[in-house]
Amino acid sequence: MTDLPDARGLVDIALQTFRAEILPVLPSNRRVDAMMIARALSIAEREMQGPPDVVGPLRQLLGEEGDEDTLSRRLCAAIAEGRFDGSPALRSTLWAITRARLAVSNPRYA
Amino acid sequence: MELIVHEKRPALEAWLAERFGADHVRIDDVDRLGGGAVSENLALVLQVDGGPMQGWHEAVLRAAAAMGVDASLSKTDEFAVLRAACQAGVAAPEPLAVCLDAGLIGRPFYLMRRAEGVASGHVLVKADEPLRALARQLGRELGKLHRVRPGAAGLECLPPLTTDPARKAIATFRGWAGAEAGRDPVLAYGLRWLERNIPARQEVALCHGDFRTGNYLVQDGRLTAILDWEFAGWSDPMEDLAWFCARSWRFGRMDREAGGIADRADLYAGYEESAGRAVDPVRVAYWETAAYVRWAIMSVQQGRRHTSGVEPSLQLALTGRMRPEIEHDLLLHLDALEGMGV
Repeated sequence: MTDLPDARGLVDIALQTFRAEILPVLPSNRRVDAMMIARALSIAEREMQGPPDVVGPLRQLLGEEGDEDTLSRRLCAAIAEGRFDGSPALRSTLWAITRARLAVSNPRYA
Repeated sequence: MELIVHEKRPALEAWLAERFGADHVRIDDVDRLGGGAVSENLALVLQVDGGPMQGWHEAVLRAAAAMGVDASLSKTDEFAVLRAACQAGVAAPEPLAVCLDAGLIGRPFYLMRRAEGVASGHVLVKADEPLRALARQLGRELGKLHRVRPGAAGLECLPPLTTDPARKAIATFRGWAGAEAGRDPVLAYGLRWLERNIPARQEVALCHGDFRTGNYLVQDGRLTAILDWEFAGWSDPMEDLAWFCARSWRFGRMDREAGGIADRADLYAGYEESAGRAVDPVRVAYWETAAYVRWAIMSVQQGRRHTSGVEPSLQLALTGRMRPEIEHDLLLHLDALEGMGV
């Protein structure tokens, strides 16, 4: 059954239909809720395409292997101990992590 | 959960009559008001027979949310702050009565006079021209509030500062963040930056704690009332100015740095007219970093209220997902500060 619509496809078409057919006919006092529903669905749809690549930038900065959680904890500890004070490399890593997360939560945010 | 159920109404009416020194009070209309992630607000129409309050009144009943929020004041303390703000001449809703007895409607609450106007940030920032007079007026109101200093009568309930405001804020943020400060490098970095850049000179005044577009009412271009006093407390007055100007509260109008409505210069000019102190832009910049760190942690907390299952809510869930946007603004701000040589 490879032609079965998958989860991402379902959320995507549900969102498109909601935006095209439902949003325009809603009374204005329901619009805020409707926009929130559309936002939640679009985040879910992007997340189904794959999680943000946070581990890549972490590995590069720390020069260590490990999963996202392990490397994030190590970096947090190093930051708290002052080992990255004034480090331009840290700042660009934090930007890379944040951009990767934004690509899922709100790609148009600037 | 319905706050004013049918059976509770007579008890509430009797209590109000006693408070107002009236023969009788009738609650004619109850409407739920939006805008409270932390508190619940109901609009009431009261008919008061006898006593000094004789007549019709539009009031707002404000009760604590079902699940308390770490930082927020009790409804009694919020009432005391509101009274102090009104006495200082700040445009705030007139406080009418406070009830500590959770038995009356299920939670402590207070009543204030209902102010008219639009609060929606999305609506306010749509103005074609910057709302310069409004920003100036907001600055003046904040300046009046910041003239209230520790020791002011009626505010003994507010926790006194045992260290300077910046150190207090950092400790509070760390407390709220808990394990998250050890898992999120951007948050860890923001906290580290705050510790390394504590301003040498700070002041202490009564601060609103959530002074921003969305938390004040505007009618015909004029401010009618500043709302949402539940985060008030003693802090560095520059914190309120920074919170107001943070990108998070510009509702997309990033070019209008004062709350999406006007320039910082307009807000600052109004502030200096009434505050009796000058704005310190370097300290405002410090507190703007603090604003992003605080809001990032608050977004985690709000998301947790949803994921914990205690308070399932689409709005809370989405707020939890706003953290990357807030951290983006934090990094942008820190980059800009370096450009300024701060």
